[in-house]
Amino acid sequence: MTRTAPPVGPPTAVRFPDIARRTLDNGLRVWVIEQVRVPTATAVLLVDRGSAADPVHLPGLAGAAVDLLDEGAGSRKAIELAGAFGDLGTELVSEVGPDVSWLSFSSLARVFGEALALLADVVARPHLYEADFRRVIELRSHQLQQRSRSAGMAADRTLVGAMFSGHPYGHGTLGTSRALGAMRADDARAFWTESVGPAAATLVIAGDVRASAAFDMAAGTFGGWRAPGSQPFAVPELRSAGEPAVLFVARPGAAQSEVRVGHIGPPRKVDDFHGLLVLDAILGGQFTSRINRNLREAKGLTYGARTSFGFRRAGGSFVCDASVQSDRTAEAVSEILREFAEIRRPGSVVDAELERARASLSRGYVRNFETASQYARAAVQLATYDLDDRTFDRFVPSVEAVGPADVERLAVEHIRPDEAVIVVVGDPAQRPLLEGLGRPVSVVTPEF
Amino acid sequence: MSIAVTTRTLDNGLDVIVHEDHHAPLVAVNVWYHVGSKNERPGRTGFAHLFEHLMFEGSAHQLRGFFEPLQEVGASLNGSTSSDRTNYWEVVPTSAASLALWMESDRMGWLLPAVTEARFQTQRDVVLNERRQNYENRPYGLAQFHISAALYPPDHPYHWPTIGDPDDLRAATLDDVHAFFKQFYHPGNASLAVAGDVRTDAVLAEIETHFGAIPAGPPVDAIVAPAARSTPVQLVQEDRVELSRIYLAWPSAALFTAGDAELDLVADILGNGRSSRLYKRLIHDERIAAELGATQSSRELTGVFQVVASAAPGHTLDEIAAIVHDEIRLFAEEGPTPEEVQRGRVHAEAAFTRRLETLGGFGGKADQLNAYNIHRGRPDWFDADLARYLRADAGALADATGRWLAGTPRVALSVVPTGRPGLALTDSEPVRGAV
Repeated sequence: MTRTAPPVGPPTAVRFPDIARRTLDNGLRVWVIEQVRVPTATAVLLVDRGSAADPVHLPGLAGAAVDLLDEGAGSRKAIELAGAFGDLGTELVSEVGPDVSWLSFSSLARVFGEALALLADVVARPHLYEADFRRVIELRSHQLQQRSRSAGMAADRTLVGAMFSGHPYGHGTLGTSRALGAMRADDARAFWTESVGPAAATLVIAGDVRASAAFDMAAGTFGGWRAPGSQPFAVPELRSAGEPAVLFVARPGAAQSEVRVGHIGPPRKVDDFHGLLVLDAILGGQFTSRINRNLREAKGLTYGARTSFGFRRAGGSFVCDASVQSDRTAEAVSEILREFAEIRRPGSVVDAELERARASLSRGYVRNFETASQYARAAVQLATYDLDDRTFDRFVPSVEAVGPADVERLAVEHIRPDEAVIVVVGDPAQRPLLEGLGRPVSVVTPEF
Repeated sequence: MSIAVTTRTLDNGLDVIVHEDHHAPLVAVNVWYHVGSKNERPGRTGFAHLFEHLMFEGSAHQLRGFFEPLQEVGASLNGSTSSDRTNYWEVVPTSAASLALWMESDRMGWLLPAVTEARFQTQRDVVLNERRQNYENRPYGLAQFHISAALYPPDHPYHWPTIGDPDDLRAATLDDVHAFFKQFYHPGNASLAVAGDVRTDAVLAEIETHFGAIPAGPPVDAIVAPAARSTPVQLVQEDRVELSRIYLAWPSAALFTAGDAELDLVADILGNGRSSRLYKRLIHDERIAAELGATQSSRELTGVFQVVASAAPGHTLDEIAAIVHDEIRLFAEEGPTPEEVQRGRVHAEAAFTRRLETLGGFGGKADQLNAYNIHRGRPDWFDADLARYLRADAGALADATGRWLAGTPRVALSVVPTGRPGLALTDSEPVRGAV
């Protein structure tokens, strides 16, 4: 019997479910996606402020303020509040991104209303007490200290600082120890109560909850949220930070070097969004992409190398990251730069390669729509980037329409090896070998 | 709650489990081989995991590798190796389910012709880099190696880490690959689960076509492991870290055996999340720890219960250890409060319900079915698993704590900043050798 691979059927269309919408009297937008599969539901409260809204002298303020919210709220102190979520079999998760922040939980459907009431306490009635603030700052300082010893985090911090230099995107959520030391509880209070409010927030609910019931629960729990905040906030447009550089962070004795090669990129609302994803899939966005194939599958010098566009509201990034065998650091960086340059060459991308990338993205897209929390996250994308409701439905046909000329044009426009910031965190013996790249090498220490 | 299944065992010994779920146009394919680093021998450690890498390099009728043909039809795929088992999975749009099944059957039956010396050498380099990235170059990355090495004697299959010893990996040969495949990678030592948008009869027929011709293999001997260490030891390891950290480890109940679920609940009450006892005392009230956690990690041959905590600057690991012991003693004597028991039950119900939401990937429904089949011989063990948590009452939790966690931990490992061994627990001895 001969063995041959069976044929594969046509791609699966995606149709995103309708979102039921209502705006409460206080301006809070409530979006509901009914998904009855298992008896659970997810809530995400999205606010229109992230780490890019930090004052220049207080990087990390948004992160600290959001962290402080659930250290006591409504009638409950910090530990009691965690216990109350625990009694419902869930926990509150808070995350702060560059553009937005969100607080979320996922619970059994039968206790969803009770958990939503706790979330509303956290958002609308946080205590923001001095003693809790001190404890939060102390714990965040410890986290920063711990991260300073992680090679990957040192690399990320160095890259972000250089690539977005002088821009509100140029720092992370934790900020710096110096800024944490200078922060006062009043700063956190001002951040939350004066700049964040219901009119600049969206509550997304997805799962085994009827829309009408969800609206009632939202009105009953969040209706009393009053805050003066909600002034519009805009991050300034991102511009290239200037000279490309090789930044070396010494980590004596390191068994590998953490490598980053990146430059600024376009925002999420870019016309060529789908073409850029196809380009990325060819170059480094997937296991079978050029860079991973080269550095891992042909050369064996890393466990994995990948690229990605980091799309944000006001701009973004294009970054390759890899952790590579120490004695092959310079080779790895050269190969990454060579791959960046190669894909810009006219005729570099062949039809079969383009078709594979398109097919992988378009055929695999349906995998993003399986669970209630995936639907909730998708809706959060719409709210964060102000995208229309048919955004996800257009994905498959838009990807299929990306042609060779598009990829060639986008590669020249959006992959720019000569502009890239190169970061290496590794053993000092590797530094001199990087001089061979023909770019000035600076030894730096990222501030944590 | 349950996962409804149809099961069948093919003539060659392959267990097949099918679960229909038409909620989304997706199919999860999942294969477990009942082999892991526990089946290795000293001198060839890390081999089961290295072999897993080779499973993605292609097979006789699909020489261009495993990833490309599946990624281009929209699949997500991966695999992992533990001490006990090796698993492989694909999640595909319904239209590609046949291809995913065929690909799995080709590497189960016809792997070796595709494994060349060059591919073998490259994957060994990749694995050495995986070890450097995930363990050697990561703060606290070697701690678990030292704990296992101290907790289990050298001839215990859990003595060595799954990622293996670099020298052992370098000593492995292509002949070893052939022998390992023949011994462990055959239908009788595997379990195939398919979950999602399929019709049971049709998919069973297709599986018979693709997998039925693979020859049966030799039975795999059960492993008899020696006992874990019986006397306590205190060790210190210096590492590139900022805060000192203590790992307290006790041998505990094996996977799915008496005491396992109870200790899982005890770990939650003691050390998971901000409503836990240790969080309240060490981090919230006394502020002497920066981070902490407690886990019951149970495996096939035995389990280990661990409490891990990092000292806040200015505080010592001795202070932390004393409080941990105090809280464990108190828990063994008095047991949990009724509220804690109730919280544990609701937590279990919620966690089990969420586990029904995802078809594939690590921990998805297909993976769970194989876990139950391999470890219990019962793919439909979901309800019985949940019942273990729902029936554990206050007395059972106190008893399990008293039985397994009484007295000094068997291994207490301090990981301290390089050059500062004095920060370790008093009377600790340096860890031995490179791991």
